[in-house]
Amino acid sequence: MPTLTFPLSRIEGHARVVIEVQGGEVISAHFEAMEIRGFGYFVQGVPAEQMPVIVPRICGVCSTAHHVASVEALEDAYDVTPPPLANTIRELLMLGQLIQNQATSVFLFTMPDRLGTTSIFESMGEANSERDRAVLATQALKVRKAGTDLISLSGGQFIHPIKATVGGVTSGIPPEPAAEMRRQIAEALPIACRLFDWYWDKSIALRDRIGTWGDDQPAYYISATSDTCPNYDGQPGQDVIRVLDPKGSDCEAFAACDFREVLTFEETDYSYAGRSSYRDDVMRANSLARINMTRTLGTPRAEGYLTRFRETFGQPAHAILLFDLGRGIELVYALERAMEILKEPLDGGRTAVAHTPRDGEGFGLVEAPRGPLIHHYRIENDVIAEAEFIIPTVHNTKAIERALNVAARRYVTPERIDMELEHAVGRVVRAFDPCIACATH
Amino acid sequence: MALLNAGEWVEERELAYMPLVISAYDVPSVETLLVSGGVRTDEDLHKLRSAVRQARRVVAVGTCAISGGVASLGNRDEVREVFIAEEERRHVPRLLPRCRPIDTVVEVDRYLPGCPPTPELFMAVLRDTPHFEPAPNVCRECGRTKRRDMKPSHLVGFQRGEVLPDICLINQGYLCVGSSVRGGCRALCTRPGHPCVGCRGPSDAFIEKESEAWLSSIKRVFGSLTDVPEEELDRALRSPQLALFLFQFSDYAHGGGAAEDRPPRPKEKLL
Repeated sequence: MPTLTFPLSRIEGHARVVIEVQGGEVISAHFEAMEIRGFGYFVQGVPAEQMPVIVPRICGVCSTAHHVASVEALEDAYDVTPPPLANTIRELLMLGQLIQNQATSVFLFTMPDRLGTTSIFESMGEANSERDRAVLATQALKVRKAGTDLISLSGGQFIHPIKATVGGVTSGIPPEPAAEMRRQIAEALPIACRLFDWYWDKSIALRDRIGTWGDDQPAYYISATSDTCPNYDGQPGQDVIRVLDPKGSDCEAFAACDFREVLTFEETDYSYAGRSSYRDDVMRANSLARINMTRTLGTPRAEGYLTRFRETFGQPAHAILLFDLGRGIELVYALERAMEILKEPLDGGRTAVAHTPRDGEGFGLVEAPRGPLIHHYRIENDVIAEAEFIIPTVHNTKAIERALNVAARRYVTPERIDMELEHAVGRVVRAFDPCIACATH
Repeated sequence: MALLNAGEWVEERELAYMPLVISAYDVPSVETLLVSGGVRTDEDLHKLRSAVRQARRVVAVGTCAISGGVASLGNRDEVREVFIAEEERRHVPRLLPRCRPIDTVVEVDRYLPGCPPTPELFMAVLRDTPHFEPAPNVCRECGRTKRRDMKPSHLVGFQRGEVLPDICLINQGYLCVGSSVRGGCRALCTRPGHPCVGCRGPSDAFIEKESEAWLSSIKRVFGSLTDVPEEELDRALRSPQLALFLFQFSDYAHGGGAAEDRPPRPKEKLL
């Protein structure tokens, strides 16, 4: 039985796709994560209060989401509610992460698929001059940097933030750096829109060339954001994961602490990451879930893109390459929303409340760029007795494998294997923007 | 990721290999090879060995590449047992018995510690900026005032919340080890109010000394700025958070002994 192995690039972490073919028929398509570090094991015995600094190291891309989820899990265990200003600064922190991540996925990971290049740092062939290459890369990095700098401003350190602490944040943001940040984002926004418009056109051209937007079978969608003006830090009151059924109706909402009743998890022998399902069905998280589950975004330019998206693709939209467009819309939303928040006073008020550590159990929920992220800790004698990290990429694994099957069946026939399959595999996986470092932790 | 944050290189250097952003599966011949992460699997080992053959200069980037970092916590016996159980899996790369720093496998020309190193430090290494000298320790860059008249009698937790601006975190009872930690990070964590956990390792003053030397230096600093009892400080200094970073760098200059089998790391090679 021939086995086709495709190493993956332009995703976070180390993974590959293995497709088994027999007599021109696709037998299986596996998404294989190839690394593991064992966070769930080695944090046992760590003082609970140190988790918000240790767990961001699960991943250099999603570190902010882990930082905030960790603090919220401890706050749940200690029964402490941060003051409103702290929540606002955490929202900024999560928006910084969203800007950084969506700019990376749209411009660095998936743009080359639309340009027919191996990266945006490489020459785009004869039609594109060396100068254009530098301009595209420089502009993409400039947009991305607006996100990174927003993380630094609201989180302290630029990759592994430290400012969120149990009960709040260590400090506010003075008016001057807030205004400077706002100016920087105001500059990045039109660049982001211009690049995204181009990306949208190139996506349509790609669809015309390959004849499909990819796997468009209906699926369940999950998200921890609310349906208006999505807030990514899963604040108290919004602290549920919502589920949309394949026809587009809200069908369930559950608290982070009840995840086991709804989501089932299985290990596989071919990957260091497992896979989960929603009541035994395929589910999807990440941008397309949020776009399908949002009534309105509430910022002008993002709302414009959302309207255009709805008019073109309907609601719910199921085709996987639309995840990529969804990320562009969210990039614009996050830039606009961050500018709104930076107009408000962000220092002077109370940034944290006192708390008393105690033993017990806590759940922290945030909407990470890849979907709902849960940290669950059991604390005994002030140290971690048990820690679970419920990772959005794992929720998408079945959907990724289903989409890989669809792509494989398109390019594998009894006569031949069309090597467009290699590109298709890359596009399918990147549409879900999986994070292997998180999925395996 | 940290390299992408230091975007200035785009117009100066060509990025030839980086699977995160480039679809290329073999390392071409390059001037500088930046290696991040420890050596965890047999594939990592193979890849690293074949990559260094293509490079004129090898730089170990970040705490994991230099000392194993967070990933080396998996070297704990009970975690290794779990990893051994993973061997049953079918396709996945085999895990090595322990996660290793890269200089136990290949020769390293330059070390760039930090979790992660800042864009500024990245650029200094890439440009090989002459006379670039990071601040000798984090305190020099922090700018908080050390006071003799504000001596806490006990340590407070890291996660206490509101922090007084402008006053040394040690005066406020935080276990901050910035006084003996390598500078150059611009005190990113301590300025907004989180104690330094030592991600860049010991400063030049301690790098060629036994870990006992900088432990006693930390204790001296706490002795003059706090009334925290020595036993309490001793206990706190065994914190896993510090073990993750600062104390991984023990015996930095002397090599790691028989178990580690790595060469000494002279301070001239460090940024």
